[in-house]
Amino acid sequence: MSCPSDLKLEAHLLDGERSAATPHVASCDRCQARLARMQQQGEHFRRYVYPATLEALENPPRLWQGWRWLGLSAPVAALAAAAVVLSVRTGPADDYTGTKGGALRLDVYASLGAGARALGDHAAVPASASLRFRVQPSSPCHLAIISVDELGQVSRLFPLSGEAVGTSVKSRQALPGGAVLDGRAGPERIYAVCTAAPLPLARIEDSARSAVGAGAAAVREAGALRGLPKGSLQTTLLLEKTP
Amino acid sequence: MEERASVAHLYQQFGPVVYRRCLVLLRDSEAARDATQEIFRKLLHDQEKLAARDTVLPWIYRVATNHCLNERRNQRRRGEEELEPDLPLSEEAPRDLFPERQLAQQVLSRFDAQTQAVAVGVFVDGMEHEEVAAALGISRRTVARKLDRFVENARKFLLRSTE
Repeated sequence: MSCPSDLKLEAHLLDGERSAATPHVASCDRCQARLARMQQQGEHFRRYVYPATLEALENPPRLWQGWRWLGLSAPVAALAAAAVVLSVRTGPADDYTGTKGGALRLDVYASLGAGARALGDHAAVPASASLRFRVQPSSPCHLAIISVDELGQVSRLFPLSGEAVGTSVKSRQALPGGAVLDGRAGPERIYAVCTAAPLPLARIEDSARSAVGAGAAAVREAGALRGLPKGSLQTTLLLEKTP
Repeated sequence: MEERASVAHLYQQFGPVVYRRCLVLLRDSEAARDATQEIFRKLLHDQEKLAARDTVLPWIYRVATNHCLNERRNQRRRGEEELEPDLPLSEEAPRDLFPERQLAQQVLSRFDAQTQAVAVGVFVDGMEHEEVAAALGISRRTVARKLDRFVENARKFLLRSTE
């Protein structure tokens, strides 16, 4: 019998009693050495990595985090209806992949003490503001919203889970949840992308990294995302996070 | 408070799995530490999957593999100091299938993310096609097809590079 894969050994480490690899491991010196090395790495994780990174997981220091804004959804909706909602829609760039005649509209709202405010392109916003999004595609499509900051770090804003853009949007709608800005001053560029078919989010994130690069000037000047499937809709908005 | 305890417990339980995966693919303990944190943040978005005892490991493997391969690509693209380029090949990897296995590592980045994950699963992790399929959430046929294409194109590339 050939030696089990690392994945099977992980299962063995997690639950030796249910592991199908147990009989093999018991009689295989090589696998016992592999297991010993894996346990050593696990110990390193527990002693050094875990204590150094746990707090950041419990209280994300800079990334956007999913945020339930359900309690404010009604006021926001009312405000949106009563006020002139500033929509952000960029003009098509040379490499724009949108369908002719198609468009994606993205409205971003910030919760600011006295209520919600619609944000325009280049809007200044407190670095720890909470945001909500509303989109309107010209045709049904699968939506993703991400952002890139001056460190070149890409944050996923919608959907918050899953590996692919799977949420279909058909008409103007407010998105569930929201995001909280990371508290760090500087530019943050938001991209909304809507594709005809589900697309791996990693591909959109890669495209954003390529389009923006790193540095404040690069974030401010970045244009449309390249390499998206034909017919994709996209729009972008720059926020200036202030201390 | 309860949520923090839950995060800590899950991280303690599955963090080592993620960290080991990152060490294999990134070959750098600092990069592995940062990646582990980022990957776990992604995993925490779906705590139901983290609680699914029978499927949690393949899912973690998939998310961590995709993240780390992505990280390797981005490092090269940004022109930063490259991570150790050679992935350790599994003893179980089929030698006769691809005699230029060592060189195959150099062409990994030329393929799409899923093909890379398939190739890494077979050549680096020594997994069987069925296991790769289950871990990546694709069919066995897709694994075989992507692997064939990978081998064929890697050979072409290697041939061109030696001409």
